[in-house]
Amino acid sequence: MRESKLNGMFFLLALLLVWELAARAEWVNPLIVPAVSKIVGTFSELLWSGQIPLQILASLKRAAVGYALAAAVFIPLGIFMGLFDNIRRALEVTVEMLRPIPPPVVIPAAMLFFGLEDEMKIFVIFFSCAWPILLNTLDGVKNIDRVLLHTASTFGLPQRKIIWQVILPASSPQIMTGLRVSLPIVLILVVISEMVGSTDGIGYFILDAQRRFRVAQMYAGMLALAILGYVLNQLFNLAHRSLLPWHWGMTKRME
Amino acid sequence: MNEPSKFNWTGWLVFGLFLLLWECGSRASPKLQLYIPPVSQIVVALSHLIVSGQVTTHLLTTMRRFLEGYLLAAAIAVTVGVALGYFRFAHSLTEMLIEFLRPMPSVAIIPVAILLLGIGDGMIVAVTVYASTWPILVNTIDGVRHIERTLIDTGRTFGLARRRILWQIVLPAASPYIVTGLRVSLSIALILVTTAEMIAGNKGLGFFILDEERSLQSSNMYAGIILVAALGYVLNRLFVVLQEKAMKWRRGMVAREGL
Repeated sequence: MRESKLNGMFFLLALLLVWELAARAEWVNPLIVPAVSKIVGTFSELLWSGQIPLQILASLKRAAVGYALAAAVFIPLGIFMGLFDNIRRALEVTVEMLRPIPPPVVIPAAMLFFGLEDEMKIFVIFFSCAWPILLNTLDGVKNIDRVLLHTASTFGLPQRKIIWQVILPASSPQIMTGLRVSLPIVLILVVISEMVGSTDGIGYFILDAQRRFRVAQMYAGMLALAILGYVLNQLFNLAHRSLLPWHWGMTKRME
Repeated sequence: MNEPSKFNWTGWLVFGLFLLLWECGSRASPKLQLYIPPVSQIVVALSHLIVSGQVTTHLLTTMRRFLEGYLLAAAIAVTVGVALGYFRFAHSLTEMLIEFLRPMPSVAIIPVAILLLGIGDGMIVAVTVYASTWPILVNTIDGVRHIERTLIDTGRTFGLARRRILWQIVLPAASPYIVTGLRVSLSIALILVTTAEMIAGNKGLGFFILDEERSLQSSNMYAGIILVAALGYVLNRLFVVLQEKAMKWRRGMVAREGL
């Protein structure tokens, strides 16, 4: 395991080295593919000048609000649809009709309503992670062992306690799955919506740099985005591990 | 979904009410009508667009780009994925690279692609390939690595040629994983095609929708959205049908294991 990590490291470094040499020796057009050192230099410059952190913050704010809103609306809805067959059947057709819409094409419609404001991006993000969260929660609740629910009601637990102490814990792994699947979608949609209609945010920053032909800045922005994606994923794992330690242990063992 | 496939009356009723509410709400408020035209108007616009053939080229362009990008990605990702899953050394070399590139939201590649390839078909197909490669690649690697070594060893003991081990043991055993990857990539590919068309395109449904929005033809814009959704739906159904055909042998197996 150790050795393979080392191999990977060497290979990555070798690739970067080849890139650097290719750019310096002008085997590739350095105007289009600048040297790695230059990209890293630009990146740290933009990092310390506060420009990249500012853009990332703008993007993160939208992402967080949209994601949280979607979770707040669609987890409870999923629970209700999972518990009550009538509600599920009533909403099923509408969900199935809306679900195949690829989220990016909602952007123009959202732009009609909200213009280029934050609300536009928040709505698009909200829409894009609605389905994974809703459907996973629904599945999780539907698959709860009915004996658990019957036992709880036999012991006379009030509905509220059943929801908090039986249903939520029992379906939490699936809810987590929905939230996890949504995470990269959120990031993608934030970037797309900022590219299509925005004046700030990391997506706008990258596209703008390309249009002004500030190529090193463009790559620096992508580097920032890659780091952001990685960090968010790690944070999610951390949250998963501390919120559902038993489930985390289980999934690891199964691998 | 194991209940009998009765017609879901309540579901359609609710959906109908939703549309009715939309229609009435939109008709009641002229201001709202600019953003949300009544459903009937959208339907008229849609049928007009289809009959006049105005969207045909856009639809066909989007479909062609999607297919090219998706199929190319599948071919590349499965080949590379099998190789990386099979040869440990190759995997150990590339693992870090993959882990580094994968978390970056794939749409960020669009500006680079514009720089390298200009705006046009090549760029759009390239970003589609890039984005839809990852899920297939990672799942294929996983699938091949999870194959029980005994299976392969048995094949070897019986003196099977490498090629036959690949086609008759490795690929079938890894296929459930590969199919999962292909499935995830299906929607990603559609997202990438439409996005790239919105950002830099002069054809295709993504372009059409954004263009109609900019010229405030909101009925046409919604019609375009419906078309893309229909495309996504059809592709998904097609995938499920093909998958069930191809994986019939497996369904039998799963049932026998029976949990």
